[in-house]
Amino acid sequence: MSWNALEWYFQRVTGGLLLVLLSAHFWVEHFMTAPLRRGDLTFETIASRISNPTWQAIDIGFLVVALVHGLSGLRNIILDWGRLGPRTLRAVNVGLAIIGVIWAWVGIRAFSRL
Amino acid sequence: MTPSLREVVAKYRWTFSGMVAWALQRVTGVLLLFYLFLHVHTISKLSQGPAAFNEAIATFSSPFFKCLEIGLLGVVVLHASNGIRITLLDLGLGGGRQRQLFWTLTVGLGLAVFLAGAIPMFLFAVLGAG
Repeated sequence: MSWNALEWYFQRVTGGLLLVLLSAHFWVEHFMTAPLRRGDLTFETIASRISNPTWQAIDIGFLVVALVHGLSGLRNIILDWGRLGPRTLRAVNVGLAIIGVIWAWVGIRAFSRL
Repeated sequence: MTPSLREVVAKYRWTFSGMVAWALQRVTGVLLLFYLFLHVHTISKLSQGPAAFNEAIATFSSPFFKCLEIGLLGVVVLHASNGIRITLLDLGLGGGRQRQLFWTLTVGLGLAVFLAGAIPMFLFAVLGAG
């Protein structure tokens, strides 16, 4: 299996995962309790949920899956632009990977002082 | 003879819906990635304590942002329903009905799911019912 075929396969798998995770996220953040239904999202409501390690694991996993899917999709758009040379392609891959790691780190760090 | 608008729409609907879907998936995808960037930026303020976070999130409590949030739901649902269509076609489950699937799945199912989420959001979060 070539790398691009694997990427294509992964995009479907992460897409399916996001369908489940994002539906749950939407329910949890917008409808689960009365204050959330009114749109009153506060530090306290988030902290009480996020202090649970299971929720932390779900949210961090969710973020990583979303980033893989999103940045992989962005890579597809860049590749659609035209034929890239091996060096440009490498730069794109490395650049997107670095962006992904920093992005994930910023997101994970959000839970650092809860 | 100049084709009527009805003819143009009919031709467009059955000839280019795949290209529309392709462009839609890319445009909505970029919008969602941009949103994810802003979302992580706001959520990262959790580590600065309750005061800083509540101040940051208060910006988004206005009816204007609640409406934008409903728009976000629309973009998500469109990307998801079209993504389901793409995956079905990739798996060979489209039954040779690629164009019909665009209208039934991407547009039809997408609109139904969007309204199921958007109506309660509008009632509760924008109008303040319940």
